Amino acid sequence: MRKAFPPEDLARDSRFARVDRMDQIADPRAASGQGGGRPNQRLTPDRADSADAARSLMHGIFVGEIQALEGAGRTCWDFETGTDGAPFALKLDMARQCWDEARHCEISVKLSEHMGTEIGEFGESAFLYQAACNPDPVLRLTGVNRALEGLAIDVFNTMKEFGSISADPVLEFCEDWMLADEVTHVKMGSDWLRKLTEDDPERRANALEFQRVVDKLFSFGGFRGEDDESPVILARRFRELAGFGTDEIDEIAAISAEARDEAKAHRASLAAQG
Amino acid sequence: MADIDVVPTEFRNVEFTADQIRGVVARLLVEAGLVDHPGIGSVRIEVDESTPLSKVVTQSLEPLVICAQSGALEDRRRTRHFGGDEAADALGRAVFAAADRLDPTFDGPAFDADVGVAHAVAWDCHVVGRMARLGHRPQRQRRLYSFELRHGFSDATVAAFDRLWSAERLTWAEIVAISDDARSVVGAA
Amino acid sequence: MADPHAPRPAFAPWDRRELPGSFTVEESARRAGNYKWIEMRLFEALGGWIATVPELDVKMRLGTHCYHHAWHAELWHKRLPELREMNPERLAVPPNEQMERFVEALTEPEAADLTIEKLVGVYRVLIPHKIAAYTYHLNNTSTITDAPTIRSLKFILHDEMDDWRDGEMILQSLIETPDDVRRAAERQVELETILVAAGGICGPGTLGGPTSDEQQPHQEVSA
Repeated sequence: MRKAFPPEDLARDSRFARVDRMDQIADPRAASGQGGGRPNQRLTPDRADSADAARSLMHGIFVGEIQALEGAGRTCWDFETGTDGAPFALKLDMARQCWDEARHCEISVKLSEHMGTEIGEFGESAFLYQAACNPDPVLRLTGVNRALEGLAIDVFNTMKEFGSISADPVLEFCEDWMLADEVTHVKMGSDWLRKLTEDDPERRANALEFQRVVDKLFSFGGFRGEDDESPVILARRFRELAGFGTDEIDEIAAISAEARDEAKAHRASLAAQG
Repeated sequence: MADIDVVPTEFRNVEFTADQIRGVVARLLVEAGLVDHPGIGSVRIEVDESTPLSKVVTQSLEPLVICAQSGALEDRRRTRHFGGDEAADALGRAVFAAADRLDPTFDGPAFDADVGVAHAVAWDCHVVGRMARLGHRPQRQRRLYSFELRHGFSDATVAAFDRLWSAERLTWAEIVAISDDARSVVGAA
Repeated sequence: MADPHAPRPAFAPWDRRELPGSFTVEESARRAGNYKWIEMRLFEALGGWIATVPELDVKMRLGTHCYHHAWHAELWHKRLPELREMNPERLAVPPNEQMERFVEALTEPEAADLTIEKLVGVYRVLIPHKIAAYTYHLNNTSTITDAPTIRSLKFILHDEMDDWRDGEMILQSLIETPDDVRRAAERQVELETILVAAGGICGPGTLGGPTSDEQQPHQEVSA
């Protein structure tokens, strides 16, 4: 088995369909904006399309959990213990994360059944796993555990609130449990970043820069933010629990706003081109 | 058979063809008993390919004009490609609802009346249940979830949903009653 | 109620634990090091394979089992300093080159259509050998002096038995045709042959008899 496993080779059964993120970005209909120009994209039960929007988001969470499982697993395998900067305890944390993500996949399958979604009903983009392919374990952990798992905190908190507002006991219960795990994973990332770059400020700076890039990519042009236009809301309280400082959360909010503004400008330019 | 016009005739933003849409609608008209209906005249399907959203609105009954955003007819697994099941589901709900409205015994709401979301979802469940028995992709649980979101998560809600889903023909008053009863049970709990 | 001041035997009548055991501190530490090494190789491989198997249920099981073996490695890692090995890495080694060759062969398959080969290596060869070695250790070590090892062994064996059953059931569900049966059997023969040459997961003496170091049977330590 190779060290470093490319995203295009991720193994799936026949139900799954891979979509290219670039195709989505190049979709000419994107000119109408995230959510097709709907002014308020917050996921609430009073939205006419809320059931299908929740189902689609849940399927996205499901395939995201599969890729998070695969990414954590690859970190167990790709790095020799100790010799190239992956301490034994870090690999134990990654194995623990494998178990957690495997449970999240199981929970997601059950939740999808509850919501009437079939496995593979929506296309899967592998770009989440791509962040788990960085050859430096510090950058990989920072990108995955702080940026992506941080996004998972925001997504799960949004879904939990949706479950609470819609009085869906199954959804609220499951999301709350997954949220607890994600806080743990983000904290793991924060702790390892600090520990492994204690005497290497340049490496720490590189890792934080990689996190910023991933955070921006996963703000999806306004997908995650603090305003009503964002379907997923930055979960400040849970991020604090996971070891993020206020200044770090402010920075993510700024990155998200920047991503949203850039996407707006891009759409305006597409619209101007007709 | 009524003429089926699809607008636009050629698509630029999505990989759809007018014939694909026409084929789906032709089958639905037969299944909904509208194929020779004297009132609807020609059928027109207007697709808004400028947006990936998936709203479907019936603009007129006679003639039958249905406006669909392109996301409603899109394969959920392949961006910008036509999805036969998705189109049948989205357009089928509009066509079967139109058939209900055109049936005097249904005694439906006025065409321009504001139908509340809970009643609309209950009506959808009744329509999709009938379509499932005609061989369309059932997605029963998907419809149940949508119904529960608007009527609460309880055994009583599931029972109400089953009545809507399995009934061959309900009147508008019966649909409204089932929906209101389900909501009152949850509200009382 | 019995008189609280009346003398009672230190060992209750039902407590049959005895001092004698087959292993010295050094031999226990050597085995614990071998255990840690193979548990690490196993959790790494299971983690790596997750991305390579298309079967969703297998993917999720591998993720779960990956952590079980990582936790076992951690238990042995923590036990080593208690056995006077202050540098746990020193003893976290394979018992011999054949064992290294076994792990190389075990972890070689990658392609998406080789799930049977991957799982046979783990669930029909390695884990049965681990269960045998752990059971031998459990049944032969001193129930008084080596109680901490026994406690770890019992936790680990509980996982191993569960995982073995899981893996075997998955394999039985994947093996459908005579060709599948042949593939599974050939893979088992290939790996079992190497593991037998290694003498088991702790090398010669894994299940008794002389170890490669001693070239003679263990001495029974008597009270």
